[in-house]
Amino acid sequence: MMKLNRRWLLLILGLAIVLIVDFPIITVILNSFRTTETIVSSHSILPTEPTLANYLFINTRTHFWTFLLNSMIVAFASSALAIVLSALAGFAMSRYRARILGGYNQALLIVQMFPLILAIIPLFIFFRNLNMVNNFTPVILVYTVTQLPFATWMLRSYFDSIPRELDEAATVDGCSPLRAFVQIILPLTAPGFVAVAIFSFLFSYNEFFISSVFLRDEDRMTMPVGIQSFMQQYSTDWGSLMASATLGMIPTLILFFFIQKYMVTGATAGAVKG
Amino acid sequence: MALKVDQRLQAGLPAVTQTVKASFQPLPYLLLLPSLAIIFIIEFYPFINGVSFSFHKGTLLGTGAFVGLGNYLRLFNSPSFYHSLWFSFIFAFFNVLVSYVLGLALALFLNLDFPGRGFCRVALLVPWIVPAVVSIVSWKWLIADRGGLVNILLGSVGVGPIYFLSDSGWAMVAVIVIKIWRSFPFMMLSLLAALQVIDKTLYEAGRIDGANRWQMFWNVTLPHIKNISIIQAILMIIWSINDFETPYLLTQGGPSNATENLILLSYRYTFGRNDVGLGSAVAILTLILLMVLSTVMMRQQARIA
Repeated sequence: MMKLNRRWLLLILGLAIVLIVDFPIITVILNSFRTTETIVSSHSILPTEPTLANYLFINTRTHFWTFLLNSMIVAFASSALAIVLSALAGFAMSRYRARILGGYNQALLIVQMFPLILAIIPLFIFFRNLNMVNNFTPVILVYTVTQLPFATWMLRSYFDSIPRELDEAATVDGCSPLRAFVQIILPLTAPGFVAVAIFSFLFSYNEFFISSVFLRDEDRMTMPVGIQSFMQQYSTDWGSLMASATLGMIPTLILFFFIQKYMVTGATAGAVKG
Repeated sequence: MALKVDQRLQAGLPAVTQTVKASFQPLPYLLLLPSLAIIFIIEFYPFINGVSFSFHKGTLLGTGAFVGLGNYLRLFNSPSFYHSLWFSFIFAFFNVLVSYVLGLALALFLNLDFPGRGFCRVALLVPWIVPAVVSIVSWKWLIADRGGLVNILLGSVGVGPIYFLSDSGWAMVAVIVIKIWRSFPFMMLSLLAALQVIDKTLYEAGRIDGANRWQMFWNVTLPHIKNISIIQAILMIIWSINDFETPYLLTQGGPSNATENLILLSYRYTFGRNDVGLGSAVAILTLILLMVLSTVMMRQQARIA
């Protein structure tokens, strides 16, 4: 009996902690249904007279849907590219022993700590000279590289979990190593692939810095850059800002819900040592 | 010179030496080729350019005269540089320290057995997963001078307003607090993962031996999470020093550059003042700082572990 009470008390404590920690996110959603006048004057955060006015404003007066579409394009392309590249490299690291593989692992460590600003300065000049500012290509390429370390390490650990004997048996039967990879390892690690793909999609979708350097025209901006430009344009129009922020995080929250059980592997992938 | 089997296992090598020396295999090299190519184009080649820029005068439109260490000397004589170096340090220091304490406390909590802990775990990861710009919109309102919730509430008890974003001291506190809020879930998640794999029988053995909770935490839990703690702390220091989004979106480095870290300083020199040489020099120094820090910490880790 005592034991049962303790467990329910822990649940209440847990919910209280969640409420405090997620308070800023909850207020974004609640405020998006309130007019700016009530947001800046009321002591309560609950929408007593809920309104969709902010969303109508976002829909009719801004390019928000363009921002969202641009984010989707960039995130989709970079996660697709990252997953292909890191699957190949991760497979090599999982199944082969060659001196270059250790070196490559070191290179990934350096990529992970590399201050992006250092690459961004020359890349901005380089792509500007190619007339590729406001073009998605540089952004997609930079996102891909920044995702290689965790994606490679994560996929490698999934491949490691598949017994070598399986693909060795196939190679003995005359299957080429790549075919064994595609036909045997890939299907077995499919859930891992989905998780890594969604991780890297989320990273690109959420990212602000690189997009803000390269994508400066309004019809090219991604969602975070677009909302930041709203922050400068409508700095005190909290209602519309909150509505755009709410819409902006919906894709993140949905995808997050699907991969949350893989989060642990993702968070510790950086800790995997070669 | 064959190592003993258990030595080999410790070193992470397979227990049995493969005696058949395979002939040269081109496949691993081919598999790495695409990744290496893109890393070369997107990071290595720009890095070489960046080193060269840092030794030249230059704007975004073109590189000018060679100035040797001129840009670096200008930085070493500039208070802005020392301020952003200092701010980067305290930003990283407090972020890692507080995120670790909070993350460990919450991981220990989530490791207890109670209904709904799965939900709590997911819900506590939300600050880490939402786009920075979304949380900054919210925080900006919460701590706004006029109309922000904190100041409305303070006002109703006759205090304030506190100018969180226009007072240098408060702005630094705000940037650090919001960064902690955005990063502790990562620490919590990895520590929870480490806690969940600790063998439960160790605690039972401890209980039989009459150890109290504190002794079990100190002698069983901590040694098991030491390695992951050190590695994640190193990662978090690196990420904190490299953070652009939190300070830029919240304060753009202001007021009067109080919350400008090294990355923002490099950004301002390059894109604000159009001084590519100086901006690159800051970025190179940041990279050197990161490499030194992580090497020292890895060494330290190797000694402890």
